[in-house]
Amino acid sequence: MSAETVHTVIDDLGALLLFTMILIVAASQIYRAIYAVAAQSFLIAVAGAVLAASTGNADLWVIAGVTLAVKAVVLPWVLHRVVQRMNVRREVEPVIPVAATLALTVVVVVMSFQLSATLGAVGRAITGNALPVGIALTLLGVLVMATQRTALTQMVGLFASENGIFFTAMAVTQGMPLIIEIGVILDVILAALVMAIMVLRVRSTVDADIADLDELRG
Amino acid sequence: MAETLLWVLPLVPTVTALLMLTTRDRRLLSALDVGGSAVLVALTLVLAGEVAAGGPRALGFLRVDDLGLVFLLLLVVLTLAVSIYTVGWLGEAVAVGNMKAESLRSYFALVHAFVATMVVTVLADNLGVLWIAMEGTTITSAILIGYHGHHHGLEAAWKYIIVTTIGISFGLFGTVLVYAAYAAAVPVAGGAGALSWSAIMQVAPTLDPGIVRIGFIFVMIGYGTKAGLAPMHLWLPDAHSQAPTPVSALLSGVLIKCALLGIIRFQTIAAAACGPAFPTQVLLVFGLTSVVVATPFILAQHDIKRLLGYHSVEHVGIVALGLGFGGPVGTYGALLHVVNHGVTKALAFFAAGTAIARYGSRDMRVIRGLLAVAPIGATLLMLAALSLAGVPPFSIFVSELMVLRAGIGDRHWLAVAIFLAMVVVILAGLLHHAGSMAFGDPPVAAGRQREARSPLLGMALLAAIMILAGLTIPASIDGILRRATEIVVD
Repeated sequence: MSAETVHTVIDDLGALLLFTMILIVAASQIYRAIYAVAAQSFLIAVAGAVLAASTGNADLWVIAGVTLAVKAVVLPWVLHRVVQRMNVRREVEPVIPVAATLALTVVVVVMSFQLSATLGAVGRAITGNALPVGIALTLLGVLVMATQRTALTQMVGLFASENGIFFTAMAVTQGMPLIIEIGVILDVILAALVMAIMVLRVRSTVDADIADLDELRG
Repeated sequence: MAETLLWVLPLVPTVTALLMLTTRDRRLLSALDVGGSAVLVALTLVLAGEVAAGGPRALGFLRVDDLGLVFLLLLVVLTLAVSIYTVGWLGEAVAVGNMKAESLRSYFALVHAFVATMVVTVLADNLGVLWIAMEGTTITSAILIGYHGHHHGLEAAWKYIIVTTIGISFGLFGTVLVYAAYAAAVPVAGGAGALSWSAIMQVAPTLDPGIVRIGFIFVMIGYGTKAGLAPMHLWLPDAHSQAPTPVSALLSGVLIKCALLGIIRFQTIAAAACGPAFPTQVLLVFGLTSVVVATPFILAQHDIKRLLGYHSVEHVGIVALGLGFGGPVGTYGALLHVVNHGVTKALAFFAAGTAIARYGSRDMRVIRGLLAVAPIGATLLMLAALSLAGVPPFSIFVSELMVLRAGIGDRHWLAVAIFLAMVVVILAGLLHHAGSMAFGDPPVAAGRQREARSPLLGMALLAAIMILAGLTIPASIDGILRRATEIVVD
């Protein structure tokens, strides 16, 4: 693959990633948000494979494989199981209207591209539009966490945020060291498991969503 | 020898944690706890001697220099104090029913796993490993914060894990950006040496300032969340108030300091790449925000552990101010403040913990006349409060004065004025709170049993360090702090 083809493919994948992000932001049901984040992780794995094929960096193949297995399959499956175990009826509870969140999404995306455009020399270090897309995904993940009141959507937002970081990290010309990426993925799995346990524990003791508890203030 | 020690250090708490999983006996668990911590202290002292004699050592992705040593010494000493304190605290907690006797081993094992991850953050030379270990501290300590199982504890633990995980993912993004700048500057990067702080520092002046600037802001928000800098401090008062007391001491005394070390590592890179003015500005903004935001909450607080939590926000702000004012005086003051605040705040949490057990409440309106029922504990609480308020001759007064001196020397008049005003207000508020707890008539419900020996021993250890550090700084410690300052300033 020529450098330009890779460039185009990464940019196209970036556009798809932003599209899945909008699906997450606008999701009216927790299942849809989970499927969207799984699709997003799948796209990240594809991006990893494309970059691996073009740069000949074997580490990226491993990272793409692990991302596919863990973030596109295992973690969404865990979330899915937790949703079933909790038997939730009220699913997604936005703090502000979805239309307002979508407007904020547009602002964040435009700002991310604006910010990246001011960095001239970095273009050489990171392939295509991976930097603005990565920044946008990370910030939008935080937006989801801030505007949703249920624990599971907050976890989805967290995974989306991590996806943004991975996308940028893969596109750094030399690729991040393999051991680091594996360590990061391990941490994400552990954090997700601890969170899932907490969610179920609160559900079983006080029958409430853990993110809804707000007795500690002041 | 010293190189091998680097890898032995994180293994000590790991092995201790694994050994703990094999027994249920409380005495044996406590013995392992104190023993493991004592071994950790001994090995750290040996390592400190080697570093003083032969300079920084590195093996693989672990490295120790004087900067890391400052934080490592604080970490191991507080771990030992916490272990000694826990022996007696645990008896009380099990008797009251706050801790379940059958699940003690997982508690102890988690504490040591938490310590192991913090040892790695302090020793990590590789910025990626630093991040991984930092997220590891979040996972282990989140379980500990919710350990009591009460839904308040779980709420605090959830807030903690969500806020810090999202914060720290900003830190990872910042790390990736700094790495991108490094990869652009050094074409043959990659492999094992990539992301090594010492390797990046060698080429730091040639890095692209634009991307390092964005990277530093991301890191500042990321590790700043973990350090409890306002406005990312939202998790801190909840976590500090809900965690078991020994864990609160570790969180406030060490964990938030480890995050500060992460910030310092990136500050040196940013200062070399974009000039010192940029990180100074960022640090001053976050430092001042923290000091100002914490003040009203300290004054209006009724919950003693929340009070101490908000107070940590203020002191992390002061450290950030010291680093921001910079120069040899400001940096030395900031590092000294890290140590002073760590020791003093752990002591304050210990003293508060025993008082809470005696009165069965965290409400400072209930805790009255402590001096009458527990004279030694009350004296230690007063000493800690006086020191935290910044009264001479205690150690915090010295480091706050140095930070102030650096600010005046740099002519940051506005920052100095705000800092002084807030410190004075907090001094008044803290003395009011402490005075009303120590004096007056104790309520009938207050426990009048004799003061247990083990918690007092742990507290006495910290109090001795605190008072000594206020009177004089030993030459060996001074040497470490001076060399650490040189690492940051150059």
